[in-house]
Amino acid sequence: MPAWFWLVPVASIGALGAAYGFFRQMMKESEGTETMAKIAAHVRAGAIAYLKQQYKVVGTVLVSLTLVFSVLAYVLEMQNPWVPFAFLTGGLFSGLAGFIGMRTATYASARTANAARDSLNHGLRVAFRSGAVMGLTVVGLGLLDIAVWFLVLTRFYGTQDSQQVVVITTTMLTFGMGAAVQSLFARVGGGIFTKAADVGADLVGKIEAGIPEDDPRNPATIADNVGDNVGDVAGMGADLYESYVGVILASAALGAAAYLSSGSDVQLKAVVAPMVIGALGTLLSVMGVFLVRTKEGATPKQLLASLGRGVNGAAVMIGVTSLGVLAAMGMPNLWGLWLALVAGLLTGITIGRAAEYYTSQGYSPTKRIAVASKTGPATVIIGGVGEGMMSVAIPVLAVVSGTGLAYFFGSGYSFSTDTMSLGLYGIGMAAVGMLSTLGITLATDAYGPIADNAGGNAEMSGLAPEVRERTDALDSLGNTTAATGKGFAIGSAALTGIALLASYLEEVKIGISRVLERGSDYVFPDGSRIASAALDQLESLNLMEMMTRFEVVLINPKVIIGLFLGAMLALVFSGITMKAVGRAAGQMVDEVRRQFRDIPGIMSGASEPDYARCVSISTKAAQREMMLPSILAIAAPVVVGLIFGVPGVLGLLAGAGAAGFSLSMFMANAGGAWDNAKKYIEEGHHGGKGSEAHKAAVIGDTVGDPFKDTSGPGLNILVKLMSMEAIVVAGVTVAVSLV
Amino acid sequence: MTTYVYLSLIPEALIASMLPPDDFGLYYAIGSAKRSRGQAIFFSVDRDAINDAGFPLVDADIRCVPHTDGRPKRSLYLSIYRTLERVPRDALTALHLATDDGRVLTIEPQDFVADGEDRAHLYQEFCPVTPRIVSHLDPAEFARFITDKAHNVHVPRIAFAELTLGNLKNNPDHHDIHNLPYPNIGHLRDCLRELAEAPEKATKTVLRQITQEVLFRTIRNGVFVGDATGISAFPLPTHDALEREHLAWWRSAQSTFGQ
Repeated sequence: MPAWFWLVPVASIGALGAAYGFFRQMMKESEGTETMAKIAAHVRAGAIAYLKQQYKVVGTVLVSLTLVFSVLAYVLEMQNPWVPFAFLTGGLFSGLAGFIGMRTATYASARTANAARDSLNHGLRVAFRSGAVMGLTVVGLGLLDIAVWFLVLTRFYGTQDSQQVVVITTTMLTFGMGAAVQSLFARVGGGIFTKAADVGADLVGKIEAGIPEDDPRNPATIADNVGDNVGDVAGMGADLYESYVGVILASAALGAAAYLSSGSDVQLKAVVAPMVIGALGTLLSVMGVFLVRTKEGATPKQLLASLGRGVNGAAVMIGVTSLGVLAAMGMPNLWGLWLALVAGLLTGITIGRAAEYYTSQGYSPTKRIAVASKTGPATVIIGGVGEGMMSVAIPVLAVVSGTGLAYFFGSGYSFSTDTMSLGLYGIGMAAVGMLSTLGITLATDAYGPIADNAGGNAEMSGLAPEVRERTDALDSLGNTTAATGKGFAIGSAALTGIALLASYLEEVKIGISRVLERGSDYVFPDGSRIASAALDQLESLNLMEMMTRFEVVLINPKVIIGLFLGAMLALVFSGITMKAVGRAAGQMVDEVRRQFRDIPGIMSGASEPDYARCVSISTKAAQREMMLPSILAIAAPVVVGLIFGVPGVLGLLAGAGAAGFSLSMFMANAGGAWDNAKKYIEEGHHGGKGSEAHKAAVIGDTVGDPFKDTSGPGLNILVKLMSMEAIVVAGVTVAVSLV
Repeated sequence: MTTYVYLSLIPEALIASMLPPDDFGLYYAIGSAKRSRGQAIFFSVDRDAINDAGFPLVDADIRCVPHTDGRPKRSLYLSIYRTLERVPRDALTALHLATDDGRVLTIEPQDFVADGEDRAHLYQEFCPVTPRIVSHLDPAEFARFITDKAHNVHVPRIAFAELTLGNLKNNPDHHDIHNLPYPNIGHLRDCLRELAEAPEKATKTVLRQITQEVLFRTIRNGVFVGDATGISAFPLPTHDALEREHLAWWRSAQSTFGQ
C-alpha cells in the first residue's frame, strides 16, 4: 500500500473534526429573540419531518435494490458479491451527509440573523462556517467510505495481482450507485418540495393576498423556508457526495486499467493518486475556510471577493501542492497528470464563472431579460429561454476543452487511441482536480440557503433595517453562489459521466470474466468468441478492441437507438419533474386558500396559520411525485441493457449525457437569470416594485423556479445514476441481452 | 363601545363602524373572510365637527350596535354621494392608508409647507374624481385651482396625493426613469413636454381615471385635502421612518401591484 494512501483517512478525520468544530462554534451563538428562535424551530421541525418521510421511502428503495443485487450476486452469480454491501453504504453515507448538512443549516439560520445584528462580518462568518460543516462533512464521509472500502477490499483480494486491483476498484465504484439513488431522491424530492412550497406561497400569498415575501401570515412561508433546506442543502449535499466519490472511484478504476501492465506498484499508485488528491484538497479546503472574512459595510462585490478568496485560495494551493505530492508519490507521466488536473480545476472555475455571468444581475444577460420584462411576460419567457440556451455554450466548450486537454496530457501528449486508457485516466484526474476542493466550494453552496433563511428570519422577526440590510447582502451573495454551485455540480457531473463511460467497459470485462469462470464461452456481438479457458485473452483486450467487438459504432442501430432514448429520457425526466412541481404547487395553492378562508384571524395576526399542514402537503407531494422519475432513471439502463446490450447502454449513456448536460445547464441558468432579473427590477430598475415590468418578471421567476431547483439539478443526477447503474448491472447486461 | 366615523375616498362614502382604524382598515381591505382584496384610503372623522352637515348620524347611533352574538358592527354606510364636499377639512383628524393585505398606516394632519422647488408635479386625484394630472402648480395652488368656482371645471373639495416624478420632474426627456412604475411612460413624458412648452397651461391630464391600485411607495410629500379656504396636508413619513417604525406596512405597500 503506498504510504501516501494514509493521507486519505487522515484528511477524512481532519475534515470531520473541523466540521464538528465549526458546528460547535455555530451552536454557541445565540438564536436571538424569542420570535427568531420560534421561527427557526418551525423550520427545523418541518425539515426533520420531511427528511424522516424521505428516508423511509429511500430506505425502502435501497433495501429492495440491495435484495435484488443480493439475488444477482449470490443466487445467479452475475455480479460481484460485494455489490449489495457497497451499494448500501453508499446510500447511507450520502443520506447522512445530507442530513448533517441540513440539520446544521436549520440551526444556523437564526444564529446568522442574530450575528448580523452584531456585524456583517459576524453574520458572514456564522453562515459560511455553517455551510462549511456541510462541505467538510460531505468530503469527510466520502473519503472515509473510500478509505474503509479500499482497506477492506485490498485485504480481501490482495494487491499483488494487477487484475485483482482492477476488480477492487470496479467493485468500489458500485457504492457510487447507492449514493446516486439517495441523491436522486434527495434532489428530486427536495426540489419538488421546495418549489411546491415556493410557488404555492407566491401564487396565493403574494399574488392573491398581496402578502410580502417571508411574511408569517402566509401559511406556506415556513414550508418555503423548509424547502430551501431540504432542496438546496440536503439535496445538494447528497448530489455532490455522489459526484465526489464517483469521480474519485472512477478515476481509481481508470488508473487501475491504464497501468494494468506497469506492475502492481505503479498501478496502485495510479489507483491511490485520485484519493490522495481528494484528501489534499480537503485539507486545503479547511485552510480556505479561515480565509473567508469581510469588513463592515462591504459591497456585494466585496462579499463575493471574500468567498472567492477562500475558494480560489484553496484552488491555487491544490494546483501548486498537487505537483509536489504527485512527484513525491513517484507517479509516471508526472507533468502530464498534473496538467490534466490543472485543466480540470480551470474547467470547474470556467463553468462557475460562466454560471455567474449568465445568472447575476451584474452582467448583461440577466439585465437583458429585465429589459425584456418591459414588454410583458411573453418576452421575459422568450428572453430567459434564449439566454439560458446561449449559456450552455461556454460550459460545454469548457468541458470539451478540459476533456480534450486532459486526454492529451494524460496520454503523454497524444490523441492516439493506442494510449486511450492513459488519456482516460487523465480525464479522470481532471475531474478529480475539479472536485478536489469540494469541501470549500460546497461550503459556499450551502451558505446560500442559510443566508436566505437568515434573511427570512430577519424579515419575519422584524429586525432593525440595518440588520435586514446585512442579511439581504448575505442573501444576495447566496443567490450568486447557489447558481455557481449548480453550474459546478452539473459540470462535474459531465466529467464524471465521461470517466464513468470508460469505467463501464472495465466492468463489462469483469462481467464477461464471470461468464467465462462459470465455464461458458462468450460470444461478442461481432461474432468473435472467447473460450472459457482464455481469460487472459479477455484481460488483454484494450478499450478500442472492446468497442470493436461490441460493435459500438455510430451506424449500429443499437447505438443510435440508445442515443435517441438517452436524449429522450433527459427531456421526459424534466417534463415529469416539471409537471410534478405544477401538481404539488396546485395542492399548496388550495391549502393556503383554505387556511385564509377557514382561519379568520390569520390576516390580522390574531391566529397563527397551520404551517405544519403546508409542510405535510409538500412532503406528501414530494414523496408521491418523486417515484416516477426515480423509477424511470433506475429502470432505463436495465431495460435498454437487457434489450440492446452493451452498445445500446453506451448509446443511452452518451445520449443522456450529452442532452442531459446541456439541458441541465440551460434550465439551471435560465431559472437563475429569471430569478435575478426579477430581483434587478425590485432593486429599482425598469419601474421597480409593483410595475408592469415587475409583474412580467415575477411570472418569469415562477416559471424558472422548477427549472433551476428541480428539473435542472435533477438531470445531472439522472445522468450519473444511469452511468453508475449501468456499471452495477453490467454483469447482467453481458449475460443477458435480447437483440 | 365607541362608534367611529370614517370618510372613505375609494369609494367615496361616510361609514360608521365599531372597529378602530387598524381593524377597520383590515376589514375594509380584505373583507370578512379573505375573499376580497383591495387597498383603502380613509380618514377618521370628528363626529362633532359634522353634526350640521346633514348626515344621518342618529341612524348611526341606532343601527351601529353590536351583533346579537357580541361581535362589533363593522360598517354602516351613512352616505355615498357628494360626501367629501360635506365634510369640513378640520373634521378630518387622521388619514389611514390600508394596503391590500390589510396593514394600516395612520398619518396625522400637519400644516402644509411648500418645498419651494420650481418643477412639474404629478397628482393622483382620489375624490370626487380620479384622474391623474401633471401640473406646474404646487399642491396648495393646485387645490385652489381645482376648487376655484371661476373655472368651468371645478369641484367643491378635492382629495389627492402627489406622486413622484423622479428625474422627470425637471426634465421630461431624462433617460433614467428606473424606479418609476407607471405604465406608458412615453405618454407621461408627452404630457410633461406639453406642459413645459405651454407655461400658461396649469394642468394636463395623464390618465382619465384610476383603474387599479395606487402604489403607496410612489406618494411624494403626502395626501392632501383642499378647497377654496386652504389645504390640509397628511405627509407620508420618510422612507427611513417607514423602514424603522412602520416596517410591516411598508413591506406590504411595496408588495402591491398597481399603476
